[in-house]
Amino acid sequence: MNIFFYLDKRTWVHRLDPRTKIFGMLALFTLCLCFNHPLYMAAVSLGILGIAIAARALPNFWRLRFVLILLVAFSSLMWPFFTRGPTPMWTWGPIQVSRESLLYGLAMGLRLASFVATGLILLSTTRNEELTNGLIRMGVPYPVAFAFSTSLRLIPTFAGAGATIIEAQVSRGLDLESGSIFSRIGKFIPQAVPLFFFAIRHTNLLAMALESRGFSPESKRTLYYEPRLRALDYGVIGLLSIVLAAMLYVRLGMHLGAVLPGRL
Amino acid sequence: MSQAIAIEDLTFTYRGRDLPAIQNIRAQVEEGSFLVMMGHEGAGKSTLCSALNGLVPKFLRGRYQGRILVKGREMSHHKVSEMASLIGMVFQDFEDQLFSTNVELEVAFGPENLRIARPEIERRIQSYLSFVGLEKLRRREPATLSGGQKQRLAIGSVLAMEPEILVMDEPTTDLDPRGREEVLSVAERLREKKRTLLIVDHDPEIAAKADRIWLMSGGRIAAEGPPGEILADVPTLNSCGVKVPPLAELFSAMGWPGRPIMVGEAIALIQKYNLARRRGSKPPELSPASPRGALIMQADGLGYIYPRHHSAALRRIDLGIREGEFLALLGQNGSGKTTLAKHFNGLLKPTHGQMLLRGRPTNQYRQHELARLVGYVFQNPDHQIFSNTVYEEVAFGLRMLGEDSKKIKRRVSEALAVVGLEGYEPRVPFALTKGERQRVAVASVLAIQPQVLVLDEPTTGLDVRHQGSMMEMLKGLHERGHTVIIITHSMEVAEKYAARTVVMKDGSILLDGPTRAVFAEEDRLDAASLRPSSLLRLSNWLGTEALTLGQMVQELKAQEDSWQNEK
Repeated sequence: MNIFFYLDKRTWVHRLDPRTKIFGMLALFTLCLCFNHPLYMAAVSLGILGIAIAARALPNFWRLRFVLILLVAFSSLMWPFFTRGPTPMWTWGPIQVSRESLLYGLAMGLRLASFVATGLILLSTTRNEELTNGLIRMGVPYPVAFAFSTSLRLIPTFAGAGATIIEAQVSRGLDLESGSIFSRIGKFIPQAVPLFFFAIRHTNLLAMALESRGFSPESKRTLYYEPRLRALDYGVIGLLSIVLAAMLYVRLGMHLGAVLPGRL
Repeated sequence: MSQAIAIEDLTFTYRGRDLPAIQNIRAQVEEGSFLVMMGHEGAGKSTLCSALNGLVPKFLRGRYQGRILVKGREMSHHKVSEMASLIGMVFQDFEDQLFSTNVELEVAFGPENLRIARPEIERRIQSYLSFVGLEKLRRREPATLSGGQKQRLAIGSVLAMEPEILVMDEPTTDLDPRGREEVLSVAERLREKKRTLLIVDHDPEIAAKADRIWLMSGGRIAAEGPPGEILADVPTLNSCGVKVPPLAELFSAMGWPGRPIMVGEAIALIQKYNLARRRGSKPPELSPASPRGALIMQADGLGYIYPRHHSAALRRIDLGIREGEFLALLGQNGSGKTTLAKHFNGLLKPTHGQMLLRGRPTNQYRQHELARLVGYVFQNPDHQIFSNTVYEEVAFGLRMLGEDSKKIKRRVSEALAVVGLEGYEPRVPFALTKGERQRVAVASVLAIQPQVLVLDEPTTGLDVRHQGSMMEMLKGLHERGHTVIIITHSMEVAEKYAARTVVMKDGSILLDGPTRAVFAEEDRLDAASLRPSSLLRLSNWLGTEALTLGQMVQELKAQEDSWQNEK
């Protein structure tokens, strides 16, 4: 059972310094917040998709397809009811759906999916260790960086244990196929408790193993995968900065790309 | 020779416990020597190991008296991480030790912590990966490695810090036979380099190679000395709850001279003193066991491919199991034995062919009907236990199946009686020992009273005493009419208890027949990376029919009597 997001491929995205990728992710997040018109948002999303293709991260997108589809669908359906626009189409008491809010909902769906996609691209192209090392070189304190990457690292471990636990309980007669929503919540306990104890035990043993190998988060360490900024990194950072500046100008200076101008 | 380790009157009691885990330990380890620690579960071996690198008392808190000196330095004055370049620890559970995203990073981790320069780290990675035989797997993800490879990676990553002393706490317990061999050959190479090595293990064949053995019992060192002395002392071994080397026990029971550990030694002694005659070996028939009960399970051309995988985990399995059989399923990790067993209770459904239970395919059954017919006990009881009391834990399955409370109460107490835990209803499962928790897991499956019981590695991780009582319990269940199927690495358990053995390799059945016949096929077992126990290899060489020690003694004594009569 493999829940590693990291895909060991050789693309230019993989070769970027982790700091560049973190910066890139933040820049793309900001870019996603720039526009709330679905057409402009779609352009951003397409751009992100292009990066995903270049990074050969699509297998991960396929694995998360349900999540992505759900996000787009849910957003697109919910948002229209919660914002007001100048051209109303239907009204029920306090709730109003307008042409603008429909478009806004669509844009929000795309935005949410783009956030997830960007994060996914980062995780698909960067090893946990590279991420940690990048954070360290950016000045994040060692203990924080390690806590972050270890929690990422533990997700597949816990998922694996969770799967085994479910099998074990099903073998004892736990019926996950039928039942009302309430009984299903109750059925969560036989799965959650063993997983909880597993988590405690595993992290305890892991901590012992780490200390026994000389790990001490306060002190300095050598980084075997030392992050290095190269021409490619400067190029990417430069390009993204220009694009971001341009798009911010389009939105704030030219007042374009917003179907509801008063909102983010 | 200087002392690598000196332990002076060490006593340690875990916080929250009354009795000390180790008491008044006084011992020394010479530099460059190989020491094996043996003892029953709870004897204090792991506690002592943890004290050597400071985990006790820095990490595992409690009351600490006495002191340990490692290369002249007092342990309690240093942090655990400071000791890493002096003492390296490899733990039993390799899964919990590995956490990097690829092999080379795992090995680099220790040196990174020691602030070693990158070119030197590179040199060490290359050097130690080839030492443990993993140099071709540098960029692999540890999750894709086999158990033996993972444990070797753990050893390599500890060696990369170049500690002077290496401590390994039960490094081979969770491994299959091939994995064990691999780890042991690494230990051999360390021996050749004269590194100071401490290993905790149960296997007499490893202990036989040590310079000294420490036998622990009840928190103390009960006996210590060279292997020739300790392993021959059968009464002490028994009283310490340690597995007696079967060949030594055989020679002792027959009144023969010498206490051999290895088969080669035994054969040499037999030839030297003319102790027994080799019978013209006519291997017993490998035909399937004579039909008795009704066919209860049948795999018919069964094939299985895991989702998102390319190669088949199971290929065209044809296997019929009758009611009342006691069957052992053997094979390397990855041979398909667990995959096959999960088809028995419908956890997995075939991708090709059929799995029939009482004549009906498993995918026509509802899950709870399957639970009533086939009970599956997982290897690790902690993957199942979640209730506050043993009663609730054992009653869980019955509640899920909708039984009424009077019936549940009765079944629970019956099940607990069968596993030898009468009166345990109000106790808290998490507070029990591992052996007891394992029994609770078995009881919770038994309470449903399924006809068939499948147990995944019921004895792995248990010491000799608990293994014995677990297997005797299963034997009792078998005698009451249950069909018992065990998946195991332990050749001895299969030899002693299973009437029929099925050996798997690469997703197919390699051998299937009466246990004695299967175990005579040493060459074919070798192809599956399996080897019969030393006792059984001797039995093969002698041409006897015996499977267990008792049978062997009987057969050999009968042989001796008939010789006497010839004279």
